[in-house]
Amino acid sequence: MRRLLARRMKFHLLGAFVVSMGCATLYKFGVAEPRKRAYAEFYKNYDAMKDFQAMKAAGVLESAPPK
Amino acid sequence: MADYSQFGFQDASSPVMEELVEFHDHALMVALAICSLVLYLLTMMLTEKLSSSTVDAQEIELVWTILPAIVLILLALPSLQILYMMDEVNEPDLTLKAIGHQWYWTYEYTDLKDLTFDSYMVPTTDLPLGHFRLLEVDHRVIVPMESPVRVIVTADDVLHSWAVPSLGVKTDAIPGRLNQTSFTATRPGIFYGQCSEICGANHSFMPIVVESTTLADFENWSSLMSS
Repeated sequence: MRRLLARRMKFHLLGAFVVSMGCATLYKFGVAEPRKRAYAEFYKNYDAMKDFQAMKAAGVLESAPPK
Repeated sequence: MADYSQFGFQDASSPVMEELVEFHDHALMVALAICSLVLYLLTMMLTEKLSSSTVDAQEIELVWTILPAIVLILLALPSLQILYMMDEVNEPDLTLKAIGHQWYWTYEYTDLKDLTFDSYMVPTTDLPLGHFRLLEVDHRVIVPMESPVRVIVTADDVLHSWAVPSLGVKTDAIPGRLNQTSFTATRPGIFYGQCSEICGANHSFMPIVVESTTLADFENWSSLMSS
């Protein structure tokens, strides 16, 4: 029982730090990094003109009505 | 535009918005770390695995002073970086004015020709099939894609705010004041926004629609509108 609180506090404070870093890491590699990669992938081979032609053909643009 | 069940940001359509999305992920990660730390300690306290019966706590006092200071620096540095990036002088290719009224927007393109038009929401009764309720307008703001655009925002009567989330733009429209913002639409498309400052009965019914198109189509459109 000697120094019980001190031991427990040390253990749980370390545990809390590990849990919080774990949550942050999970979010970073589960959400943030995939999102960054998704944006990079999207723009890697993005053809703006092809996208524009598709929108024009669909008739959604006010400035470029389909012929 | 936003989906009905959407929780996060709309897809970014400008470099600034991409940076903001990344910064938000960073800030949320920091907030999650802090919340999980507090929740863990709270659970330990409530299940009596920990208590705060201490008499001398110099070390922990030091830790919980320095750690938050570090967290604040971790948040402030990218935030200031983006703030200064947004204010960079970027030599816009086009300047247009957005003037808020109760309850519509007026747009002025006065760079080359004197082009001015009002932009009213399309009422639901007149909305064609497949169009977005309370978001479509009769005349859109047409801009050339991949070109820096400067928008001068003001108002004629009461406070309004010109906002387009996908482009990372929100600027207050204040009577008697000119506020400047800028954006570059990285891809062609139609970007929706809504008035973001309470301005009376029809505050929710004065949307903003920005259409990003090719330079040639932009020039054709501006010639047609001016004539």
